[in-house]
Amino acid sequence: MTTMPAVDTFWLSCLGYFEKELSAQQFNTWIKPLRLDSSNDASEPILVAPNRFVMQWVKDNFLSRIELMAEKYFAQSIRFQLMLAEHVSAKTPLSPSNSAVTAAFQPPADVDTPAVSLRKVPGDPKEKNPSRLNSSFTFNNFVTGKANQLARAGAIQVAERPGVAYNPFFIYGGVGLGKTHLIQAIGNFVLEHNSAAKVRYIHSEQYVSDVVKAYQHKAFDDFKRYYHSLDLLLIDDIQFFGGKNRTQEEFFYAFNALIEAHKQVIITCDSYPKEISGMEERLISRFGWGLTVAVEPPELEMRVAILLKKALLENIVLDENVAFFIAKHIRSNVRELEGALKRVVAYSRFTGHSLSLDLAREALKDLLAVQNRQISIENIQKTVADYYKIKVAEMYSKKRSRIVARPRQMAMAISKELTPLSLPDIGEAFGGRDHTTVLHGYRKIAELRASDPAINRDFNTLLHILRG
Amino acid sequence: MKQLLLDIAPSPPPTLANFVPGRNIELLQTLSNVVAGLERERFIYLWGGAGCGRTHLLQAIAGICMRRKMNVAYFSCAPETEFIASSEPHCVTVDDVDRLNAKAQISLFNLYNHIRDEGHALLLVSGPAAPAQLRLRDDLITRLGWGLVYQVHELSDEEKIKAMKCHALGRGLDLPQEVCDYLLRHGRRDLPSLMATLDALDSFSLANQRKVTIPLVRELFQAVS
Repeated sequence: MTTMPAVDTFWLSCLGYFEKELSAQQFNTWIKPLRLDSSNDASEPILVAPNRFVMQWVKDNFLSRIELMAEKYFAQSIRFQLMLAEHVSAKTPLSPSNSAVTAAFQPPADVDTPAVSLRKVPGDPKEKNPSRLNSSFTFNNFVTGKANQLARAGAIQVAERPGVAYNPFFIYGGVGLGKTHLIQAIGNFVLEHNSAAKVRYIHSEQYVSDVVKAYQHKAFDDFKRYYHSLDLLLIDDIQFFGGKNRTQEEFFYAFNALIEAHKQVIITCDSYPKEISGMEERLISRFGWGLTVAVEPPELEMRVAILLKKALLENIVLDENVAFFIAKHIRSNVRELEGALKRVVAYSRFTGHSLSLDLAREALKDLLAVQNRQISIENIQKTVADYYKIKVAEMYSKKRSRIVARPRQMAMAISKELTPLSLPDIGEAFGGRDHTTVLHGYRKIAELRASDPAINRDFNTLLHILRG
Repeated sequence: MKQLLLDIAPSPPPTLANFVPGRNIELLQTLSNVVAGLERERFIYLWGGAGCGRTHLLQAIAGICMRRKMNVAYFSCAPETEFIASSEPHCVTVDDVDRLNAKAQISLFNLYNHIRDEGHALLLVSGPAAPAQLRLRDDLITRLGWGLVYQVHELSDEEKIKAMKCHALGRGLDLPQEVCDYLLRHGRRDLPSLMATLDALDSFSLANQRKVTIPLVRELFQAVS
């Protein structure tokens, strides 16, 4: 005898079926607002409708189909009850699993509720970690290179002399470059040397949400008292304040109060202060009072160092060659770099083979294939023109002498190989040429590669350069 | 005219066991490890084209967690989806992340940060492309790429044929090679559609008491169109 699958699982597949079967509007109006409550008795599950109108419509139009599906699914007849939300909540409390699952299918009751309403009130004395710092972010495990050495030096000075050295300390740079790590390292350092210090790390989005909550609960006094009483305020991704005037006003007062009291303010942002859109001028000018430093994307050596450090922390034996291979191909940011390392390690565990260059290449092949597809046609034209020492403009010119036509054909063939563009699009990028010209170029190069080793070598070298 | 059950038969519940792995064996192993508590990584992003099986895998994981009475939040993304959990979740699955509008992306960004900093949940997200190719906020994209990222490879035609034959065998259906080829040439080629067609073909062949042949498939297609 087989056990009966959970009604929850059936309902998931049922939702999937209706989503495919009905128009989006129909699905969103009638099916999506339904909530399954199977907590009382699995043989008579309850579908909870938000109002009478939906309930009646579902009863008339969908209930028999749901029951028919259930009959096939469970190989026995199942009846569903339809009920109004208010009746159910009075009757049976929802089990935690059901309520969470259905959260996805229900419009939120209160649109102003913060997205994850699980956080505690700021300054709540019962909080286990009032600073909200992640203790794993320290200066010791922060890898330094040309890209961030100035930011790190500034951060250490601020950590050693908070409120004195540079106030505010403003760090800006692209995503995934270690800004959060650096400022949390300051917070952890300060707490380590003065456990009584009142430190608070907050993401700007959460600050915005706290302002909204304080406004709704008329609790601005508490809000102000808390933020103005801090010794160190670390505020992450301040670009989220853009266009939010009420938040900026509150922050302005908090900022002034802290700076006047020689308490340290540390800010991160994705751009230089003057370039933050929707930010008040008076705040922008204040951001420049202390020290403003940039973090740049890490250079190759630093990327290798980051990987080796990460491996060391995780007790992974990582050969430098493998680290170099990953670092060479993953160039944009530290998060992606760490993600790639995880992938290689997972693959090594899966295959039971040690971390080698070949294994890394195999593990990252999907990711690298995606990168190859991202190579632009302009990049190909420039690389090929440089390689053959001709001007990039010759790629679009009408000249047909072999000295420019051959490199142009080479660039066309490589464009076909490395980009997903159609032949007419490639032709267009080469001075508005016809797609048959592209095809001819591609065939010509294929033919030459087969007969002339030098051309074949050129082709492979160019592919290698372009793929990084 | 005979009524066809094709329209209303739901697919069997998605599980890891009934996912045809093809080139996704490593991914399947990783997901099995995740639910068995053998994988430390809590953030997983799956990507692949339509019909590759992303939703199947997300629902399979959500289903396993639900059967264990865990607190599960399953989000099938719409532009306005808000990531609200009524209590601390154990497992959050987010399907089709690319559909989120600007506000919803911030909502997911917050949820991610919350889970990373304070929660212990598994966060399983899916999208149609690798993180770097998604048209979403950079700070969200880099977070999706921070965990384990897997491409869900669609099955090749040969693998689809193998899966169809295996499915047919389970139903006691004799499925000739030429019918497989025909279905792949003339019908929808994603696996769920192929399986649904096979189920319909099985019922149709029983109802008409005829063997499964290309003419029978043609009649079925005509009957349902």
